[in-house]
Amino acid sequence: MLPKLSILPFILLLLPSFLLSQNEEEKNWALTGYLKNLQTWLFFNDFPQDAFLQDNLIHNRLNFTYYASEQWTIRADLRTRAFFGDLVRAQPNYADLIDNVNNDYFDLSVVLLDRPSWVVHSILDRLYLEYAKGDWELRIGRQRVNWGISTIWNPNDVFNAFAFTDFDYEERPGSDALRVRYFLDYASSFEIAVKAADRIDETVIAALWKFNKGNYDFQILTGLVQNEWVIGGGWAGNIKSAGFKGEWSYFVPLEERGKNSFALTVGLDYVFENGIYGNIGYLYNSNGSTNANIVGLFDFELSAKNLYPYRHALVLQASYPITPLLNGGAAVIYSPVDVHPLFINPTITYSIANNWDIDMVGQIVMNDQQDGYKSPLQAIFLRLKWSF
Amino acid sequence: MVQIAIKSNYLRRSNSALFLKQWGNYSALKPTASSIRFVMLLFFMILFHFSSHAQSDLEAKEIIRKAEEKTRGSSSFSEMKMTIVRPTWTREVGIKSWSKGDEYSLILITSPARDKGAAFLKRDREIWNWQPTIDRVIKMPPSMMMQSWMGSDFTNDDLVKESSILEDYTHQVLEKETIDGRLSYKIELIPHEDAPVVWGKIWIWIDVKDFIQLKTAFYDEDDYLVNTMLGKNIKMMGGKLLPSRLEVIPADEEGHQTVIEYKILAFDKKMEDNFFSVQNMKRVR
Repeated sequence: MLPKLSILPFILLLLPSFLLSQNEEEKNWALTGYLKNLQTWLFFNDFPQDAFLQDNLIHNRLNFTYYASEQWTIRADLRTRAFFGDLVRAQPNYADLIDNVNNDYFDLSVVLLDRPSWVVHSILDRLYLEYAKGDWELRIGRQRVNWGISTIWNPNDVFNAFAFTDFDYEERPGSDALRVRYFLDYASSFEIAVKAADRIDETVIAALWKFNKGNYDFQILTGLVQNEWVIGGGWAGNIKSAGFKGEWSYFVPLEERGKNSFALTVGLDYVFENGIYGNIGYLYNSNGSTNANIVGLFDFELSAKNLYPYRHALVLQASYPITPLLNGGAAVIYSPVDVHPLFINPTITYSIANNWDIDMVGQIVMNDQQDGYKSPLQAIFLRLKWSF
Repeated sequence: MVQIAIKSNYLRRSNSALFLKQWGNYSALKPTASSIRFVMLLFFMILFHFSSHAQSDLEAKEIIRKAEEKTRGSSSFSEMKMTIVRPTWTREVGIKSWSKGDEYSLILITSPARDKGAAFLKRDREIWNWQPTIDRVIKMPPSMMMQSWMGSDFTNDDLVKESSILEDYTHQVLEKETIDGRLSYKIELIPHEDAPVVWGKIWIWIDVKDFIQLKTAFYDEDDYLVNTMLGKNIKMMGGKLLPSRLEVIPADEEGHQTVIEYKILAFDKKMEDNFFSVQNMKRVR
């Protein structure tokens, strides 16, 4: 027993150096990932009472790729999170809430620990086999089918439900799907994707054609999204040296009772010579409300046909490298509706070392209340990230 | 209870989806923003080092042409490490790059871990960026090309237009000097009056025997030295004798330096045009 125990730390010590010593050219696999700590502070002002909550999230991600041959690749990404803090304590069924967010066809998640003040959850959010040869690419399994082309909002992103729990989930959830792509030339392709489901009204089956013309990327899509026909399109090009992008989708329910939905977004982005990145965008959402109160901001089902709770949304975003290591930025979203909801999202990111980053993110919600224009809610997030 | 419900709703939805959809996009931009500054320099380096030019019969011009020819090929592949040195910190970026002519290039970030796997494709004036974390290709606004890099070491404006070291300047051999033990021509380049360049003057030192560009000094229009570029650690790479280490040193910023070290440099390998495609940008490694 003793020799075994003493050998384990030795192996653990050797493992990183083994991984590092592998020659990049020779090895047929890759393991990357990160470890993040996210500290959350929430301030509620008269919403409906004053309150302050603290929450913590330790978040690990492992991206594993195995290059079986020139054509075949296997990908598996594991996402593990440990939650603790006021929110976990306040919500008795917190683990279930976290776990139920993933409404995937295959259950690839597990609650590792469920205590009153601690929840640990693990999920394989990518698990696919890819075959690529010549102009063909075939992918089967849990994958991200990302069909967005514009910068802020993506009405063409029809494969994703967006019911995810963490704001710092850049990777986004995957879909259990089959995807076949044929590349027509350097920036043109045709693809078909099908999402696994038991019933036709739960599935997504759609085709996307991308092409490049006159320095513009264009795309057109059509298909069936949870019992609604969708037709959509998008573009990414430029007006002079500013990026000009847009995307729209039109949904028609197969059942007579439902109503049609239309979403359209356009945006411009530009990098100034001093390094300031600026982005301005607009979203029209036919499902959005014009008279909902601010709670609507926290209580709506986000999907490609309902990307923001209000009918109109304007976004202004800017970022600036204060020093090469320190980046400051802010995004502001405003909706010209009854309560004039305003969402302010300042961010500061700092590179501590080659693989270490620290981010500070604020989220401030403003609205027109009976007693004036006020902020019912502010949130501050502090995130430390180590990438490997 | 209502409050808790709203709070947990906040965390479940707002903390995720909502603005956070937006934040997701925003953070998705972050690696882009940080990588792009490196990448713009790289496009420059590739243009600067692997561009082809017309012939001239003047002696000074001929020397420069020969030096340029050394770094030129119908295509190139390189693997390099770039180190940014500042008085209180350093950062490293690992890069693989492929180019064909002046029109096509593809750059893959191999380190640091945060940006690993990100790739950039340039075809003529169009640039695409592959972000593996979000599984998406992002079309870059052309103004990215104009962005200055790391403050002011380089502005891309002239870099992009840099096709002209032969055509936009008059050239004159001033003298011969020894640089790192190598006898070199010291050549002065003065821009033509209407040339689209930012420099007032450039001095280039080129090895007499092997036509290696050993040192370059860039002066502004008021004749102040702005940057010095040094070519060091000369060795055989891709069948040519070339500096494997380039140092860019801004003149009036003490302790600032950018170093590029080539691990591999190869020329004239056969590359199909469709190697430089959105599809391949995701596959190279």
